[in-house]
Amino acid sequence: MLLPISHDPCRGGAPLAADPAAAAGLFACLRSTRPPGILMAVAREFSPRVERHGAGSVVLDVSGLGRLLGDAAAIGESLARAADDRASGIRVGVAPTRTAARLLTIAHPRLVVVARETAAALAPLSLRTLGTLLDEGGWVPGDSRAQAVARARATTARLEAFHRWGLTTLGDMAALPADALAERMGQEGLLLQRLARGADVAPLVPDPGTPRFLESIDLEWPIDTLEPLSFVLARLLDPLSAALERADRGAAALRLDLRLVNRTTFARVLQLPAAMRDPRVLRTLLLLDLESHPPPAAIDVVTLELDPAPARIIQYSLLERALPSVETLATLMARLGALVGDTRCGSPALLDTHRPDGFEMRRFAPDTRSPAPAGPRVPGAPADPPAGTARPPVLRRFRPPIAVRVGVERGRPVRIAIDRRGMPGGDIAQQAGPWRTSGAWWDGAAWDRDEWDVALVDGSLCRLFHDRQLDRWFLEGLFD
Amino acid sequence: MGARAELELLLKASRLDVTLTSAAPWTHEARAVAPIGIAPLDAALAGGLPRGHLSEIVGPRSAGRTTVLAAALSAAAARGEAVALIDTADRFDPASAETAGLDLSKLLWIRDTGDPVRALKGLNLVLHAGGFGVVAFDLADVPAPEVRRFPHTTWLRIARVIEGSQTTAVLLGAERIARSPGGVTIALEAPRLCWSGTGDRARLLRAVDLRPRVVGGRV
Repeated sequence: MLLPISHDPCRGGAPLAADPAAAAGLFACLRSTRPPGILMAVAREFSPRVERHGAGSVVLDVSGLGRLLGDAAAIGESLARAADDRASGIRVGVAPTRTAARLLTIAHPRLVVVARETAAALAPLSLRTLGTLLDEGGWVPGDSRAQAVARARATTARLEAFHRWGLTTLGDMAALPADALAERMGQEGLLLQRLARGADVAPLVPDPGTPRFLESIDLEWPIDTLEPLSFVLARLLDPLSAALERADRGAAALRLDLRLVNRTTFARVLQLPAAMRDPRVLRTLLLLDLESHPPPAAIDVVTLELDPAPARIIQYSLLERALPSVETLATLMARLGALVGDTRCGSPALLDTHRPDGFEMRRFAPDTRSPAPAGPRVPGAPADPPAGTARPPVLRRFRPPIAVRVGVERGRPVRIAIDRRGMPGGDIAQQAGPWRTSGAWWDGAAWDRDEWDVALVDGSLCRLFHDRQLDRWFLEGLFD
Repeated sequence: MGARAELELLLKASRLDVTLTSAAPWTHEARAVAPIGIAPLDAALAGGLPRGHLSEIVGPRSAGRTTVLAAALSAAAARGEAVALIDTADRFDPASAETAGLDLSKLLWIRDTGDPVRALKGLNLVLHAGGFGVVAFDLADVPAPEVRRFPHTTWLRIARVIEGSQTTAVLLGAERIARSPGGVTIALEAPRLCWSGTGDRARLLRAVDLRPRVVGGRV
C-alpha cells in the first residue's frame, strides 16, 4: 500500500519542526514475528548498512539505491517482493528517517512508503506506536540493551502522562510547544517529541556482520618519528580509501591503534566533520593529530579502522560563492588547532546571558543556506546601512579586564591612570553611565558592576566598569 | 611581437603577468572588489576593497579601525562569503561585532595570545586554504617594533598567495605596514563622537562618525 500523504498547513497547534525528510537519507524498516535471520537476509540483499532493533525489526540504509531501483516507492516495492519471496507477513516501511520507517511499520500491516512530509504522515498514528518503538530500544546513543529497557520503563511513565493530558496521536505530541514541554518533562520530553516527529536521535550503528574497513601492518623495525609513520599510514589508507569508494562510502571516523614497544596500545579516534575518503586528507589529519598527541614510545604495529558512512554528493551552484570544502576546512582546523589550540579557533556564538563577554567557541562550519542577518551592511539590501560614515563603535576587549586607578568626583569618573605602557590615560572629557548590570548571584560566578563609556582628552574611547563586589575599577576595552 | 606575446604567455602561465604594466590594464570596471558597506568609503575606493590584494586599515587608537573592519566582514558574510579574523592579541568582541551586523557563524576567529609570529603562521594557513572572502590580520595591539621585525618579504609572500584569487586580505594596524601594488590603505583619523540623550545620567555613546582617508592604491 502506498500511503497517500496530504499536507495541511492550516492544521491546528504549533508549527512542526523542520521536516526530517529534508535530510538526504532514505531508510527502510522490515518488521515481522519471523526469526530475525530472515529479515537480516532480506536486508543484506539491499544494503550493507543494516541495524537490528529487538527481535523482529531491522532497519537498512537504502539511500544509494535510487539510481538502481528508482524512487522511494520503487525501492519499497522491490523490498516487499524480496520479503514475500522469503516469508509472508513481513511489513515494509520506507521513509527519510529510521525512526519514521520504524513507526510506520508498527502502525501499518503492509508496505508503506513516505518520501516527503514525514511529520504529516506520522501525525495520525497512535501514541502506542511510540511505546512499541521505545520497547525495542536502540533510540538513544550508546545505550546497551539493559539501559534501553530501563529507559523504556521510565519513558513509559512519560507516555502515560501524555495520555492523561488528553493526547492520543503523535501529531498531538509533535505539536506541543517545545519550551513548555521542556519545562515540564525536561530533555527526555523533548527527545520523545523528536521521536514523535520522526527524527532520528542517534546515528545508525551497523550490525556487527557488516564488513569492516580495517587494515593493519606489523612493522619490521619500530618507528619513533612521524615521518616514516606517514608512509605507513599512506600504505594503509590507500586500500581502505579504494574499498570505501567501491562501497560508495566515506569515513565518518578514524580509529588508529598503535601497538607500542612497551607492550601498550596507544589509540586515537578522529571524528570527521563529514564523510570523506581522500587518503591524503585522512593522512594529514592523522599526522596532525599525532603531532599534538604523540605516542609515548616507538611503534610496533599500526592498525587503522574507518567507520563508514554514506558518501557525500555535492552539487555546486553557479549563483553562490564557493566556500572552503569540508576536506579543506577539516585540514585547516586541524592545523590551526595544532598551532593555537583547539579551543582558540572556530566560530564565536553568543550565549543567552547578560554576562559581559558571554560567548562560546563552536566548530567553524559556514553554511550558505543560512539566512543573512538582519540589517546587513550591503548597498541595495532591504535594510540599507546609514548613508554616512557614522557607525556604532566596536569594542576591542581586554581579556581579562585591566585594573585601573580612577579619580571620581560627584560619583562620576573624571580621570584614569593605568600602570602599563601603551595604555590610554588622563582626564576624561565626556562620559556616559553608569549602566548597572548584575547576575548569576545564584552561583559562584556572580557579577555586579557599573559600566561607563568615557572619552578621554587624548581621544581614546574606553569602557570602564566599577566592580561593586571588589570595589575596584577596570578597563574592559577600547572602542575602535 | 611574437616573442613578446610568447613572453607574456609564459608570465601569465606563471601568474607573473601583473609585473607587466601593459599586460594587465587596471580599470575600475575590471577590478573585483569586496564592498565594505560604508557608502562614502566604498565610493572613495571605487567599489570596495580590491580582491586578490593585500590592503590595510590603519590609524590611532579609537579611530574606528575595528569598526571599518567589522563592516567589511559583515558585508562579506551577508553576501554568503566565509570570513576569517586572525586576532593576534585576542581583542575581538563578538557581541559588538554582531551588533554591527556580522553573522558570526560565517566567521573563523583565530585567537592568539599575543605572539605575532604564530599568528602570522595562522594567517598563512588560512590564506593557503582559500575560499574565504575577507581575511583580516589584526596587528593593532602589537607594538610597532615587533611588527617592523617581520621581513618585508613576508608581506610580498602573502600578497603572492592571494594574487588572482577572490580573497581580500586586510591588515589592521596602528601605522602603515604593507599593501600589495593593487591594494589600498585606509587611514583613519580621530572620529567625531555622537552622544545621545541629555543630562549626565541619560547620555549614551550612540556612534562614531568615521573620518577615513584612502591613501594610494590604483583607485
